[in-house]
Amino acid sequence: MSRPEQLVNLTIDGKQVAVPAGTLLIRAAEQVGVEIPRFCDHPFLEPVGACRQCYVEIEGQRKLFTSCTTTATEGMVVKTQNTSDVAHEAQVANLEFLLLNHPLDCPICDRGGECPLQDQALAFGPGESRYREAKRVYPKPITLSPLVNLDRERCVLCARCTRFCDEISGDRFIEMFARGAAQQVRISAGEDFRSPFSGNTVQICPVGALTSTPYRFVARPFDLSTVDTVCPHCSAGCNMKLDMRAGEVVRQLARDNYDVNDAWLCDKGRSAFRFPDAPDRIATPLIRERGLEPASFGEVLTRVAEWTDGARVAILTGGRLMDEDYYALSKLARTVFRTNDLDHRRAGDTGAAAAERHAAAKPMSLTYDDVETAAAIVVVGLDAEQEVPILHLRLRKAARRGARIWVLHPRRTRLHDVATHVLCAPGDEARLLAGGADDTLDEALAAVREAGAGAVVLAGERPGAADAAKRAADATGARFQYVTRRANDRGALLAGVHPSLLPGGRELDDVDDVEAAWGPLMNREPGRDTMGILRACADREVDVVFLIGVDPLRDVPDAGLVRRALDNVPVKIVQSLELGSLEPFADAFLPASAFLEKDGHVSTWEGRGQRLRAIRGRDGISLADWEIFASMALACGGDLGFETLDQLHDEMGRLMAAREDGRSEPGAGTFPAEVEPGDALALFTYPLLVDEGRLSEGADELKAALGQEPFVELHPSDAAAAGIVDGGRATVRTDAGAADLPARVTEHIAAGAAFVPFNQPGLAANTLFSGRMVTRARITPAESDAAPEGAEAVGAATGGGA
Amino acid sequence: MAIFEGQRLDEARAIMARYPDGRQRSAVMPLLYLAQSVEGSVTRDALREIAELIGVRTAEIEAVATFYTMLRPRPTGTHLIAVCTNLSCALLGGNDLLEAAHEATGIPAGGEISDDGEFSVHEEECLGVCELAPVIQVNVANHDRVTPERVREIVGSLRSGDVPEPARGPAVESFKAASRILAGLEPLAEEGAPA
Amino acid sequence: MSESHRVLTAHWHDPSVIPLAGYEAAGGYRALRASLGMSADELIQVVKDSGLRGRGGAGFPTGMKWSFVPRDSGKPTFVTVNFDESEPGTCNNRELVEREPHALIEGSAIAARAIDCHLAFIYVRGEYLWQGQVLQRALDEAYAAGYLGRGIMGGDYDLDIVLHRGAGAYICGEETALLSSLEGFRGQPRLRPPFPAVEGLYESPTVINNVETLMNVPHIVNNGADWFKSIGTEKAPGTKVFTISGKVERPGNYELPMGTPMRTLLEDHAGGVLGGRALKAWTPGGSSTPFLTADHLDVGLDFESVMEAGSLLGTGAIMVLDETDCMVEAARRLVEFYAHESCGKCTPCREGTWWAARVLGRIESGHGHEDDLPVMADMGEHILFRAFCALADGAVSPIQSTLKHFMDEYEAHIREGRCPVTGRGPGRERGADHPAEDDRAVPDVTFAGAGPFEIQGVPS
Repeated sequence: MSRPEQLVNLTIDGKQVAVPAGTLLIRAAEQVGVEIPRFCDHPFLEPVGACRQCYVEIEGQRKLFTSCTTTATEGMVVKTQNTSDVAHEAQVANLEFLLLNHPLDCPICDRGGECPLQDQALAFGPGESRYREAKRVYPKPITLSPLVNLDRERCVLCARCTRFCDEISGDRFIEMFARGAAQQVRISAGEDFRSPFSGNTVQICPVGALTSTPYRFVARPFDLSTVDTVCPHCSAGCNMKLDMRAGEVVRQLARDNYDVNDAWLCDKGRSAFRFPDAPDRIATPLIRERGLEPASFGEVLTRVAEWTDGARVAILTGGRLMDEDYYALSKLARTVFRTNDLDHRRAGDTGAAAAERHAAAKPMSLTYDDVETAAAIVVVGLDAEQEVPILHLRLRKAARRGARIWVLHPRRTRLHDVATHVLCAPGDEARLLAGGADDTLDEALAAVREAGAGAVVLAGERPGAADAAKRAADATGARFQYVTRRANDRGALLAGVHPSLLPGGRELDDVDDVEAAWGPLMNREPGRDTMGILRACADREVDVVFLIGVDPLRDVPDAGLVRRALDNVPVKIVQSLELGSLEPFADAFLPASAFLEKDGHVSTWEGRGQRLRAIRGRDGISLADWEIFASMALACGGDLGFETLDQLHDEMGRLMAAREDGRSEPGAGTFPAEVEPGDALALFTYPLLVDEGRLSEGADELKAALGQEPFVELHPSDAAAAGIVDGGRATVRTDAGAADLPARVTEHIAAGAAFVPFNQPGLAANTLFSGRMVTRARITPAESDAAPEGAEAVGAATGGGA
Repeated sequence: MAIFEGQRLDEARAIMARYPDGRQRSAVMPLLYLAQSVEGSVTRDALREIAELIGVRTAEIEAVATFYTMLRPRPTGTHLIAVCTNLSCALLGGNDLLEAAHEATGIPAGGEISDDGEFSVHEEECLGVCELAPVIQVNVANHDRVTPERVREIVGSLRSGDVPEPARGPAVESFKAASRILAGLEPLAEEGAPA
Repeated sequence: MSESHRVLTAHWHDPSVIPLAGYEAAGGYRALRASLGMSADELIQVVKDSGLRGRGGAGFPTGMKWSFVPRDSGKPTFVTVNFDESEPGTCNNRELVEREPHALIEGSAIAARAIDCHLAFIYVRGEYLWQGQVLQRALDEAYAAGYLGRGIMGGDYDLDIVLHRGAGAYICGEETALLSSLEGFRGQPRLRPPFPAVEGLYESPTVINNVETLMNVPHIVNNGADWFKSIGTEKAPGTKVFTISGKVERPGNYELPMGTPMRTLLEDHAGGVLGGRALKAWTPGGSSTPFLTADHLDVGLDFESVMEAGSLLGTGAIMVLDETDCMVEAARRLVEFYAHESCGKCTPCREGTWWAARVLGRIESGHGHEDDLPVMADMGEHILFRAFCALADGAVSPIQSTLKHFMDEYEAHIREGRCPVTGRGPGRERGADHPAEDDRAVPDVTFAGAGPFEIQGVPS
């Protein structure tokens, strides 16, 4: 991870080892296979030397040294507990001290069996305690949040949890209160441990003081089978360990990967694991003609072949399939259905065409490590904490290393304590990034220019942001990457699940490599994007639409259009884990396996492919999506050419590798502004981390801890003009619909803009939008309940005012 | 804000201005004293308001407030009688003074405040007046070479509204008044008068 | 008796030096004026040459400490005056400030000048309410007279001094804990390195000095390093304001040359043991220093001599116990102090002082067990030098020194079930193996000022 300039030679327990200068002795010991006991030390936290467990003897020194705070120096001779009686005795004594007040909770403590205190007490501690006094007791447990419980008696006061909150997440809800033997981890009364990273404190707690509520009393470690996999919730690609008991997922933990997620997971990744076993999961094919009764694959695929024969076919999918699934889908669409009407993106044009091409052609051109070591970072159109949380943590890490960070976004993000924010109206990014329009941003651009390759520009999915950011990056020499949000949006893009791109970001006329693998491509006309497909469905210009791992009624920002599309298109084929809201519409259902049941790869926002492994057998007769596509191709008289995953990989690897000659210059034009200044507000939306998304099905504790009611957020100047007060209710009216919502007035949003979260309980915000994630809105104080039917809103309309 | 408004807010800002720009967190302790001078103890509102003034989370303020013995999280009597029982004072009868203080104020051992809210008694560590032991403090003002009889006299005086002259320095009218001085502010012109 | 050793206390009989005019009339602020005409290097050199060592307990050479401050860090430098004086038995800082507050201001200003500091802080313990007021009044006078503020004394050197009050935590007398507290965090000590001289207050180079140390500085500037070296011992020049308290006829603060024998202080100045009783034990430097006995009365009170005798000079706070005092009770009360004041950060101090206080309490109240003594001895070995800071080492001093010198008292408590000196305790049957079988009879230790260990926190 670091770039060692100089090695230092030292001896540990008689073994010679060379380590980079600055290495702590405790780390150096690990390199020669010596485990020094410890509690407060953690590789990602600043050393504190608090627990005093890790004592070593250093030749020539009178006192013992804590190996977690002492750096290796040339020629140092270190003796650990293995070769030094004094160090050994000190460790035994320290464990005796720690166990004085520690309760004999092991039989009822979740940590039992995987507890560093148990393990270290057994290996390094006294066999018996000489303590005969009363132990310190506390009422227990106290609930820090619906996800985290605290049993204070078990706490060894290593402060890993409070230090994590201080150094890593910045969410300082928990702190040490009081002093001496009364020192304890606490939260302020009336508050909650409302951090999306709270679960990390449970994982790094070396005892059972902090425990996970969903996991409390659920299982013992020896009951569990564990599999390594990757989190399915966002493009961070966090590595996980999945624990299963009797075939059911009971827990998800972070798995160390210093290149991706360090040692962290967000709470959604930890807690939202019940969706594959949701009650409405369907594991057999269904066909409408038989009243949505179970049918065989053969039956359904035969019908599919009939429906699609000579028909106009369109394909909509989302962001949760594997790389292999998308590759097979891309090939299926082009070679069997001969269509380019396929898309994985939520909305249509978001002003990211160049960014997409860059991302598709250059996977791994910018990595987490590059972000961490950058000197200057500009984040445009991305709310990392909500959208790609572990990237948010990496940005904070960069800030700790001294990076200067600027965020250009319509509303303030939780990087605000380490980054300078410039709040801009949606669509205004290009103008601001062109320079000369905002002093702060100009300062940022100057810093980026100066840092050259040490500068990073990241762009998210706010409409208008990505290409504007890429233009700025190209102009300043900074490195750039487009950060899409969903777990495998990147894989879909790389595979060419896109109306005008083939695999590897190739334009539709750049066919040589593709045709070599796929045969002649008949259709070289750019297809319709998501919105185009839906409009065509509504206008009956499409005969068959596939809905694969997507619920457009919720996911697409134009619920009305989706409704019309589904009502009018003759044939709808759903391939997913469940029917959900598509039940009234589906003509056929093909059961897909969940990510737990599949082998394959998913790609992070970097474009890094990571291995998924099947943890359990397929549910029912569900199949991996790519397998269904392969069978479908055969049923339709085609052949994708692979029967096994390995065969698919060989072909895929060639076409989805990074390419030098991808065209990705952003066009000269600016992204159309939705809303002219002064003329209504620019209402924008994006999904918050914890929402009503399908993958959060059953994550009740997560929603209780971090969920929010829907709201509309606006700037004080706009609120005042409209007569809206903070905490009051407001009516939001757009061309698509209206909603009555609690209002939050804050200066932490751009004037002229308003925000509604995309998918909270009680508001599917896609009913307010007309195809894009931004629209014009009029926001007025809500009508009172007592107002007569049909009366106009009382009070100031926009422009009037108190 | 309920506590830090009007003149109190001005005073809070003045306190924060004592420290270099960007280091206003240093003002936590005097701000806690100021809040204590208004409310008689450190209340939840105080913690929240100070957190807002400084721009940190409530827990960060509460972490500091609960670390120190002179910042009192629970209701405290109008008058705080602190009795040192550390070694030099104990050798010369400090424990007897503590007992006398409890008796005279009617606060049982382990209790914190008298029923009428007039008194709190606090067993203290070394107050730094060892050469004049045994010592007590009334509202953080020193009384030296005290006897149990003198303790009873002092409590009696306080009951009748008379704050006895300390050994050195002026009498401090109440624990609230002491907190205000400890915030680094001049005593209020009139005790209890609105700003 | 010659009064030539009365340097810091020369004006203690004369309250006129408390206000500025009187301080000036007595020669005050001359040294500050002189120091403005000296370079920082010269100032540091004269203090180095004088051999002045920190008076707050550690005895570190003051000039050397100042010289560690880098001049080219690009960050502002700070002087922080440690007026947290909380070591049991110690009151000399308090009286020094009460009787001549301007001397502290002058000394601090000279220290600031030596490291090019423009903002200094005086951290005064909360319990010194009035002394803080005295100091603030003196600061206001100094500002009004141009000794502080912009362009002091008509020159181009700016200096502000801000008073910051503590709130009742002995640990804040530890340098890095003091800085932590001053920054608005919990007063817990911090890792060194980095050392405060390089990265202290606000991550900037900082010098922290004790009140008494700084009050010596104007005299050194006025009279020179050689003059200072002519008082006291070779390794510990100058005077020390000793506090003597407890069972003596005339407790008080007495300024004497470093190295003065204890006997001189006790008999010639403090009037001997109270009531003519026999001296039993005494601390040379506050509760954190091991007890010495009547066998040590000829020990010179300086850093080296006291260390040779098996203790530490510390703050020079002498507490005297006589034959009617129970050493187990004394040890118990002092260990309770450390348990109460432990910041909680590290295991040996937090858990060790808790344990030791309980065991001592049990022994003192007559419920001791034979095993307790080897356990206490072992406990001390594993707390000493094993904690994050020296507070824990201070806790071990009363334990180890009473075990060493007064083992018979401990054994009597355990054997008899009552104190051999005061007679208190339930007593026990001869030959019984165990103390009172009924655990409920064992009184729980309540720490001074603290109730049970469950802190209720701030009510919602």
